[in-house]
Amino acid sequence: MSNITAYKCKSCGLVMYPHHFRCLQCHKREFEEITPSEKGKLLTFTIVEQLPWGFDERGRVLGVVEFDNGVKALGVILAESPKIGMKLKAGWDSVRMIGDQKVYGLTFEPA
Amino acid sequence: MRPVVVAGAGMIPFERRDEDSLVGMMAVAGLNAMDDAGLGDRAVDAVYVGNMASGLFNHQVSVASALVDRLSLMPAAADRIENGPASGGSAIKNGFLAVASGYADIVLVVGGEKMREVIGPKATDIVAAMTHPSAEYIYGVTLPALAGLFTRLYMEKYGVTREHLTMVAIKNQENGLLNPYAHIRMKITMEGVLTHPQAHINSPIVADPLHLYDCCPVSDGAAAVLLTTEEIAKELNKPIVTIDGVGQATDTHTLQERSDPTDLKAVTVASERAFSMAGLKPKDVDVAELHDAFTILEIAESEHAGFFPKGEGAKALEAGETRIGGKLPINPSGGLKARGHPVGATGVAQAVELVWQLRGEAGDRQVKKATTGFSLNFGGFGNNVLAFVLRRKS
Ligand SMILES: [Zn+2]
Repeated sequence: MSNITAYKCKSCGLVMYPHHFRCLQCHKREFEEITPSEKGKLLTFTIVEQLPWGFDERGRVLGVVEFDNGVKALGVILAESPKIGMKLKAGWDSVRMIGDQKVYGLTFEPA
Repeated sequence: MRPVVVAGAGMIPFERRDEDSLVGMMAVAGLNAMDDAGLGDRAVDAVYVGNMASGLFNHQVSVASALVDRLSLMPAAADRIENGPASGGSAIKNGFLAVASGYADIVLVVGGEKMREVIGPKATDIVAAMTHPSAEYIYGVTLPALAGLFTRLYMEKYGVTREHLTMVAIKNQENGLLNPYAHIRMKITMEGVLTHPQAHINSPIVADPLHLYDCCPVSDGAAAVLLTTEEIAKELNKPIVTIDGVGQATDTHTLQERSDPTDLKAVTVASERAFSMAGLKPKDVDVAELHDAFTILEIAESEHAGFFPKGEGAKALEAGETRIGGKLPINPSGGLKARGHPVGATGVAQAVELVWQLRGEAGDRQVKKATTGFSLNFGGFGNNVLAFVLRRKS
């Protein structure tokens, strides 16, 4: 279950994430708010060994996932050996600390 | 629009410069450009400073005002121009427009960044602040991570290999050995980076598939150019190098919203715009300075700027076409990879190298008979790109 909101253009149907005030394609301003479907596939990934200040972690896998309903989003990939095209299931979890606050975001496990 | 001449070019060596302040570095680079032009006591009308993040790196803002004070250029107009890693290119564009439009006759453009004031992970975090706050930054995305996502797709689509990426690093570090201003002055080999049993220690993973030697260093430095009209340049008696083309274009903030994430549209459009203004084509270029913050970018940009068809950049590299002495030398300065990448300084340092190349003042790394140069300054991860065409007039 993910908590992000994506936007479907009411005019041309383009699905966008994150938010734009005008459609990327037709520049109209009316959108239907949609939530990503439960599952998707991995489009690309990287294994980050040098994370920024504030992370006490190495080897975090970040990837771009295309959900079955067309939403594309980046998130943390929780798979031992990630492969382009693999099916993933979305989750919602703490992805970093900023100060003493947990920040939540998308996580993906093999489906 | 009036023709715009680069009458002066100067920089300071890029490296870790603990003893220098940001404004101090920019002042010395500025003086070097003014002296190179032989400006003497003529007044500078306007100053444009390319700088990405002095507020975050150095806890200092309004650095353009601070610079005119250090150089006693008052009452010159002064602005700081921020456009991420393309801040230097944007500052040159603003200086170009000021002279071309007649708003100013003599303009000093300085790019500078002092990144080593903070520790490595902090610098990574500051640079990552240019990513999308809720869709990228919170996940720990770094610029190398975005480049890693891009590289994996590019390798899959076009058959680019780690050997190709390493060839960029080897070539640019060899060129850097010939550049006294370069941060990294060390020869590397395919064996040491890729095949030796210790290779993974020499060049550890930063953001797979990118390793340490695929990434530019974090540097301090500054570079400057003095822009003016043809009439004043003739009085100054300098070889005439003009900015004939300026192009800029943008793309989506996040990589995932590009219909083909391997397509660097802003690079294509910015380059086309620069060539169109100059009335030239990619085949007219004798020397190019590309934004190789990551090795893959030199290959991808060489294609998107129009020098090679898509997927052929790695082949041209492999054939030696992009070496000094090849058909189209790319990054004779050593590029960002070896010269270093103090973010706000880079776009200006590229112009400085082109001026030296086109005047025949590039020493051991001189590209023979170079009369047309091209530079590309890549901001964000390709979401704000500037391209320039410079020419030597006979
Ligand atoms: Zn639309």
